[in-house]
Amino acid sequence: MSAEAPKPRVAALALAVGLVLADSSIVVLALPQIYRELDTSVAGVTWVLISFNLVMALAAVPAAHLARRVGPGRAAAVGLAIFAGASLACGISEQLSTLIAARCVQALGGAAAVTAVLELLPASLGSERRATALWAAAGATGAALGPAIGGLLTELVSWQSIFLIQVPVALVAAVPILAVARHEAATGVLSAELRQTGRPHMLANLALAMVSAAIAAALFLLVLLLIEGWRLTPIGAAIVVSVMPLSALVGSRFGGAVESARARAAAGAILVSGGLGGLALLPKAEVALTIPPQIMVGIGLALVLSALTETALAGRAPQAIHGGWTISARHAGVVIGLLALTPVFTADIAEQRHDAIDAGTAVILDSQVPPLLKLDLAQQIQSRLEGEKGRVPTIGPAFEPLPDDPEERDAVVQLRDELQEQLNRGATHAFSPSFGLAAILGLLALIPIGLAKRVDL
Amino acid sequence: MNATQRARVLVGGAIVAAIALVGIYLAAGGSSYAPEKTKDPCEPRAWRNPEGLQEIAQQFTLSAMDGAACKLGVSRETLARALATPESRERFTDRYDIDEAQLARAIRAGLLRAVDDAEEAGALNPLLAAPLRETLKSIPLSEAIELINNAESLLDNLQSFLAPAQGLLEQFLP
Repeated sequence: MSAEAPKPRVAALALAVGLVLADSSIVVLALPQIYRELDTSVAGVTWVLISFNLVMALAAVPAAHLARRVGPGRAAAVGLAIFAGASLACGISEQLSTLIAARCVQALGGAAAVTAVLELLPASLGSERRATALWAAAGATGAALGPAIGGLLTELVSWQSIFLIQVPVALVAAVPILAVARHEAATGVLSAELRQTGRPHMLANLALAMVSAAIAAALFLLVLLLIEGWRLTPIGAAIVVSVMPLSALVGSRFGGAVESARARAAAGAILVSGGLGGLALLPKAEVALTIPPQIMVGIGLALVLSALTETALAGRAPQAIHGGWTISARHAGVVIGLLALTPVFTADIAEQRHDAIDAGTAVILDSQVPPLLKLDLAQQIQSRLEGEKGRVPTIGPAFEPLPDDPEERDAVVQLRDELQEQLNRGATHAFSPSFGLAAILGLLALIPIGLAKRVDL
Repeated sequence: MNATQRARVLVGGAIVAAIALVGIYLAAGGSSYAPEKTKDPCEPRAWRNPEGLQEIAQQFTLSAMDGAACKLGVSRETLARALATPESRERFTDRYDIDEAQLARAIRAGLLRAVDDAEEAGALNPLLAAPLRETLKSIPLSEAIELINNAESLLDNLQSFLAPAQGLLEQFLP
């Protein structure tokens, strides 16, 4: 194959990587809507995210080996076709079980496509280093943009549209790759010679897994806090969480000035942990207060992910296999983060909900509102709580219509605000331990990062 | 700056930024931003403003709930939600394994505490307190709950009953 492949092919390869890796996070903002529409639990809906990442983690390395045996062009084209078909199945799923099954198939196709692309890119760009850089950048861009795109589609169309729109995109990406597949079929020549596979960089991949766990938790928990806790719309939440990818762009510029991958990885892990620590200690339920921690996490993730991926791939051949290991480590980290933290925060949210309702009841009992109106409000609030199935309730409608009497109206408005404040406190505090644990996980990644200098496994 | 210095600045800057953010959020009260803890119902609660029938009725109700909750070993807020409807009351008794007789005894105890508190706060005439206590000791559960929910009517009736009697007594007392 020519060293100067046509630009549409390179763009298609990058698009394929971005599309697949966006899927690890694209449904994050749709989870609350899926949770409500499919009538499931928080733990259940988390599997829409976990299943994809788990299969990616398990399938990435075998898929890379397969791509090298059958030909990366064919593996990428078939992988994208499977990905498109499974995306369609996700989009028309009416049950959680079928959605999760389709997500698993989607990840299988995605794993084949992403690892095969890393095998195709060096031939298309004429340089293994440039190929690695483009592959990593396309993946990071997709993963970073995923939540915002998913949030926009969820609110403007539906959660199903997130998957349906991926069908034509995957097919468009597959078309230029088909030429490579046809070339492989016609000539029987693979784009890269089969070489001995070296051992993966254990410490870099371990650190990648730990940092990915912390970052996934940050994104997932923040979205749930914004939508379920503070009642933002998916678009509102998408705008808020887009601070993280924007900061990641800035972070990638910082990284260029420092040669030491170990220093970049360490600084990135510290920033991710610091940002998560900030989210664990939010002093008020205000969106603006999530911005500084998000900036820190965004800059940190750009530094640490690129440094660790670079370390894991440096001097190791073949790139597709070691790229497969990094994909596997990152997605395994996401799964571990979600599995470890979901039970923690679901337990905390139940406890905090109870405390918030108690505090809210105290506010009603001690308020200046007339007793009969108080009783009426208490009963309306009680019925809203029962209708919310364990989630943090919205109590505003229970106060409508407001009384005509100005004095009574003021007392009711004050009561409503105080009650909402208690619920906000409960919702925010419920996420604190999970953010705190994620911060610790990010800090623990410093151990393999620190050891990586002395022992190169 | 050489490569080593740049690396040190990057790591040092990250440490400073992380500590600064966590420190600022801690100083702004991040560790205590949680729902306010409910008060122990067994502890005395000062009457806010024992003037006016409506205010007195509210305080009477709150004292009665505190007393009943203390007896049952639950928070005042949990009991208040339990007494909101017959269904919530049933859920409450099932959850805490309490029978109707225990609930009735607790609410009567709460009402008696409310009378004591009202008397102590100067909101209830001592002449009324004694017969009221006697009445409350044998009041049925449904009426006790109704009294908690609408203490104003009870106190209103009591005050209107007492007003002429009190006037009469004052004429004879020194």
